[in-house]
Amino acid sequence: MKLYLYGIIDSSNQINEPIYGLEGAGVYSIPFCDIGAVVSEISRPIRGVTEGAVLEHEAVTEKLMANFAVLPVRFQTIIDGRDNLLSMMQSYYKDFRDNLDRVRNKVEFGIKVIWPSDKIKEHITNAYKKNDKKVSVPGNSSNKRFMREKFEKYKLDEEFEKKANKFINVMDMFFSKFVAEKKLKKLKTEDLLLDAVYLVKKDDQDNFREAFEHIKGPHANFKFLFSGPWPPYNFVILPKNSNLLKDSRQEDLFDKVIQHQDLVGADTI
Amino acid sequence: MTLSSMVETDFPEEFVEEMEKSNNALPKRIDANPKNVEKGLAKLVLTLIELIRKLLEKQAMRRVEAGSLSDEEIEKVGETLMKLENKMDELKEIFGLKDEELNLNLGPLGDLM
Repeated sequence: MKLYLYGIIDSSNQINEPIYGLEGAGVYSIPFCDIGAVVSEISRPIRGVTEGAVLEHEAVTEKLMANFAVLPVRFQTIIDGRDNLLSMMQSYYKDFRDNLDRVRNKVEFGIKVIWPSDKIKEHITNAYKKNDKKVSVPGNSSNKRFMREKFEKYKLDEEFEKKANKFINVMDMFFSKFVAEKKLKKLKTEDLLLDAVYLVKKDDQDNFREAFEHIKGPHANFKFLFSGPWPPYNFVILPKNSNLLKDSRQEDLFDKVIQHQDLVGADTI
Repeated sequence: MTLSSMVETDFPEEFVEEMEKSNNALPKRIDANPKNVEKGLAKLVLTLIELIRKLLEKQAMRRVEAGSLSDEEIEKVGETLMKLENKMDELKEIFGLKDEELNLNLGPLGDLM
């Protein structure tokens, strides 16, 4: 019998309320020591990824979060039978416990920011041209012209990155009080200034949100995406040789839908 | 089925577009199979050469900025970097590779370039 795994919880007790998962199957916990693996039985392989199935998976994880600390598992993680599941639990017990302690009473938020990179570059270029004290490469040979162009691009890129860092530092200043951990990706594309995930104490959710609104206010020409609260998908740290959770990079629902290519192919342990 | 999590933005299409761009830019692995092994290997080798070329270029720019290169040295470095860039363009064309393909996703370490 194959088991579809939703997550690991910090309790060996059974789940009190009835929860239904993929294919409408009943969700239950298989205990190991003082933790549990939350699963439902699955009769056939899941073909492809549909938005509905992703939402069902997510809904189970969120219901669990109401009562337990949860380590969310990657969508389509299927384990071949109870014995294999228990063996996996035994192998990773200490890691699971450590992670559960880290994420207890915390939730994940995602923030993405698009900035007007064209306008910012234009502004930087104009300022560079006006700067009389700038270093330049004199001479008119083709080699010198090449070096001059490269040097100008180098300086413009440097300034562009400085501006990105400045904005991200401001954000950090606002958030630092409420954030336990964070993962920031700067300039994944020229327009996507920031793609960040934050681990926030449940009690600080409102403060975190308020801080976000403060940042958003004065940046009318920036575009923001705020998502959460999510299970801590991005903050589960397992040993490098683990195939179970290390790829649980379902950064948020948005990504789950548009990164469906990443998720195709069940993880069978 | 109800979710308490929410995605809030006034610009969903722009974010989808940017995320797709960033995901498509980098292959998760070198795509080498019996049919395209030559291209797969070329991509790997050219990615590494491109990395070294960019490092050399950056170092040269730092030295220009610091004023530690003489006129003659700038001339020589310029010639070298230009030739290297032209050669890379030729090789990319031969193997049908685009600039954005010359990168590797190093997993938790991020992207190579």
